[in-house]
Amino acid sequence: MKYIDRILDRELKKGSAELLVLSLVEHRARHGYEISQVIEDRSEGAVRFRVASLYPLLYRLEKRGWISGRWVEKPGQRRRRYYRITPQGRKVLARQRSGWERFVAAVNRIAEV
Amino acid sequence: MRDWKSEVRLRLRHLEIDAARHAQILEEVSGHLADRHRSLLARGMSAEAADQAVLQELSDSDALTREITRITGRGDTEPPVAGGVPSRRAVESWLQDVRYGARLLRRSPGFTAVAAITLALGVGANTAIFTVVNAIVLRPLPFSEPNRLVRIWESNPEKGWPQFSASHPTYLDWRARAQSFERLAAQTSAGFTLTSGGDAQIVRGLAVTTDLLPVLAVNPELGRNFTSEEDHPGGRTNVTIVTHRFWEQKLASNPSVLGTAITLDGQPYEIIGVLPKSFGWGPATLDLLVPLAPNPARARGDHRLLVAGRLRPGVSLKQAQSEMDGIAAQIARQYPDSNSGWGIRMLTFYDWIVPAETRQSLLIFMGAVGLVLLIACGNVASLMLARTSARQKELSVRVALGAQRSRIIRQLLVESVLVALIGGVLGFAAAWVSMRWLTAAAPTTVGLPRLNELSVDVRVFWFALAAALGAGVLFGLLPAIQASRPQVSDTLKETTRGGTTGHRGHRVRAALIVGEVALSVALLIGAGLLIRSFVRVQQVQPGLQVDGLVTMRVNLPRTTYNDGAKSRAFYDRLLPQLAALPGVQAVGTSSGVPLTPGSTSTELKFPGRILPAGVPASADWRLVSPGYFHTLGIPLRGRDFDSRDAPPPQPNTAPPPSIIISEAFARRYWPNEDALGKTVVITSFGPRVQTVVGVAGDVRSFGLDVEAGPMVYASAQAYSGWNPMGLVVRSAQEPESRVADVRSVIRQIDPQVPIYDVTLLSDALSDSLGARRFNMYLLGSFAAIAATLAFVGLFGVLAYLVSQRTRDIGIRLALGAGPADVFKLIVGQGMLLALIGAVLGVGGALAAARVMKSLLFSVDPRDPLTFAVVPLVLLTVAVLACYLPARRALRVDPLIALRAE
Repeated sequence: MKYIDRILDRELKKGSAELLVLSLVEHRARHGYEISQVIEDRSEGAVRFRVASLYPLLYRLEKRGWISGRWVEKPGQRRRRYYRITPQGRKVLARQRSGWERFVAAVNRIAEV
Repeated sequence: MRDWKSEVRLRLRHLEIDAARHAQILEEVSGHLADRHRSLLARGMSAEAADQAVLQELSDSDALTREITRITGRGDTEPPVAGGVPSRRAVESWLQDVRYGARLLRRSPGFTAVAAITLALGVGANTAIFTVVNAIVLRPLPFSEPNRLVRIWESNPEKGWPQFSASHPTYLDWRARAQSFERLAAQTSAGFTLTSGGDAQIVRGLAVTTDLLPVLAVNPELGRNFTSEEDHPGGRTNVTIVTHRFWEQKLASNPSVLGTAITLDGQPYEIIGVLPKSFGWGPATLDLLVPLAPNPARARGDHRLLVAGRLRPGVSLKQAQSEMDGIAAQIARQYPDSNSGWGIRMLTFYDWIVPAETRQSLLIFMGAVGLVLLIACGNVASLMLARTSARQKELSVRVALGAQRSRIIRQLLVESVLVALIGGVLGFAAAWVSMRWLTAAAPTTVGLPRLNELSVDVRVFWFALAAALGAGVLFGLLPAIQASRPQVSDTLKETTRGGTTGHRGHRVRAALIVGEVALSVALLIGAGLLIRSFVRVQQVQPGLQVDGLVTMRVNLPRTTYNDGAKSRAFYDRLLPQLAALPGVQAVGTSSGVPLTPGSTSTELKFPGRILPAGVPASADWRLVSPGYFHTLGIPLRGRDFDSRDAPPPQPNTAPPPSIIISEAFARRYWPNEDALGKTVVITSFGPRVQTVVGVAGDVRSFGLDVEAGPMVYASAQAYSGWNPMGLVVRSAQEPESRVADVRSVIRQIDPQVPIYDVTLLSDALSDSLGARRFNMYLLGSFAAIAATLAFVGLFGVLAYLVSQRTRDIGIRLALGAGPADVFKLIVGQGMLLALIGAVLGVGGALAAARVMKSLLFSVDPRDPLTFAVVPLVLLTVAVLACYLPARRALRVDPLIALRAE
């Protein structure tokens, strides 16, 4: 990856990371690895979160009260921490979605993508 | 497979968050890595490559550590998981405070020890007194539903007998007529000589009606209660229920003892029951019960029964009292000669056994120890203040860095509660030890009921804990608030300058000292009054010469000595033989020896005379042998009893009517006249007019602090047959060594006659002051602790003051102040505080005087001497407490003091 690509990648990720995680736990609770896998799969490898960025993000969202984590034990598996969106998180998600929409539209208009 | 957890742990080792959260993050992240590794392998990656790829995830572990610390690690709490349970982080931060506090205390062992010991004194004294209050006042009596149990007396306030024993027929009338009670029981004490199984021994019994055990709700452990046939005059009354103690000691706990017989007073008594061990009625030395068989034919004027009843459920004491008043009025109308003027008095068992005076004196002690604890708190608070102002800089820095005030107060409070808990544990242990000591040290002479029930229970533990925690908050709160308050910049400036601490700190400390001095002056005055009372009591002349006197009871078995003549023959033989023993100076007998338990009273009639209103026509009476007054050293005017008063007994002739009266008797009934030759009818001695042949000195029969009332004596030879008699022997030295001789003389005359209750009258006199002495020691030691604490407090504050003002003093000295000025400054400051405290203390003691009155003896609760001397003594002590620090101030070298900057 070229330097400029790395910068772009980082900034884009930073701007969109919260939106991505919140939407992934909107309808069902997911654990950290699952969240990273889904992001990687759906973006077809374009977006990937490493441990060092994913977990601080999760903890920050949790501390703000937008998602809540809970240890769940399933038969035959080790226990995992599942995150689920909170009512407050839902409101934030709605705002972020419309914000992102407007932002993307604006960028598209300006950059004539 | 690789151990991802240790990889993560290694990389996150610098994470600064609490341990529990750390472990969770470790688990979550390593789980993630394991999942990733597994899925890479599943995609066909080699194990080695997968390892590498996963480790890549952790490549930026420093950023990870930093980010996580930033998010979770800054003293913030995790959102609560479920409900309002305090989160782990909150608990953790409390624990942190506790650990920090404990570390600080460990670092200054001197402070911790002084503070903890001071508190231990306060908490220990409080716990000890509370243990007593708990056992005596708070715990229910050891009976089933004790609030339904009442004690009932005949009562004749006019004659000066508000509470008097009941007669047999009157008791029977009550029992037949009263509806308020489930049962009414009566009893009287009954001593026997036990001759089965060895030497003649005295056994202590109670003659009780069949109602007693049901009233107390007690069932025999073995066997049964008396039946009404056995509890009936002329019935099969030779049956007995023995106590558990007697059964164990005398009957070897033999389970098949029922139906066997023991010999009491020469008669076989069948054992029909054994009482349970828990039977808490009567003296601790009780051996057995026999049927009372109350007899309707006995005289109504012969009052000797203790009556107790169990109220029916729902009946109040007041209802029962009004019913009994009606019954008493009926009886008085039916039998005006014997019963007019007699009513009924009732008290619940609780009010009877734990009288109001006992409760009041315990309340006084509880208050006094409360003051001691307050003083201890004052001292520790002042220590804490000194300590926190030394730490002021540290605290101010914390405030400046954004620490919340509540957090700082909490930290300081945690420290003081820790100190308080150490003090509490020490105090609790001290109280426990002193209780063991108190129960062991002659508990009968301290004048408190229920001492055999004394024990440390859960309530005492909670009390000690509450006292310690309360004290911790009390002495910790003030310094904590104080310390957290000051303007940050001021304190920082002030403390770096190293000069004086804020004025506010001084004012608080000064107030503490004033309070301490005031409280200890009040306590010392209380103790001083008790000491004065005790001295006064000891100066009272008992009216007899106790030294060299030994007394014992002689019990003549009723079966052998079944009439007066036989008893008289026994004593007529015994007394001369005893008087002839080497070393014996004099002997005498009495139906009631002074300072030993037991009392007998009689009504008086003065034919042709009307007594002035308010003069009760009653007196105590005793039967005494010729020579009794001489033996006891009681002065006598007129003549002693002799053979003229007791001619050889002839059937159906009454003895000649001569009596000896006491000075109090003479003063009351023949004031300003010579009583010799005067006449009076002594109801208990029969209807005949008696002539006064002698007037004996007053004797304080019930203890030095009980005024001698009117007493009338008759000849024991004339009214023979009273049993048991008290024998008094005077000898030149070691009166107790005469007892063996007395015993052998009695054995020669009749081996079936036991002697018991051997007592030195000097001991009895001393024991009669036991309660007073106990009170004095108790309050005295509280006051001593209080004064010591106040002294230490005053000294500490002044010493601290001097050390804080070293620079100030140095400047004064440098500017030309003389040592006298500095001395005056320091001592003056201390003495001003002490003086204010002393004035307040005197005021407090004056206010509390009314409460103290009940504990005093012929000392005014506002006794001017005590009120003058105590503050003076304390002020003298205060001068000493001020002098030592002032002397240190004088040694301040101005150069060094200023250079210290």
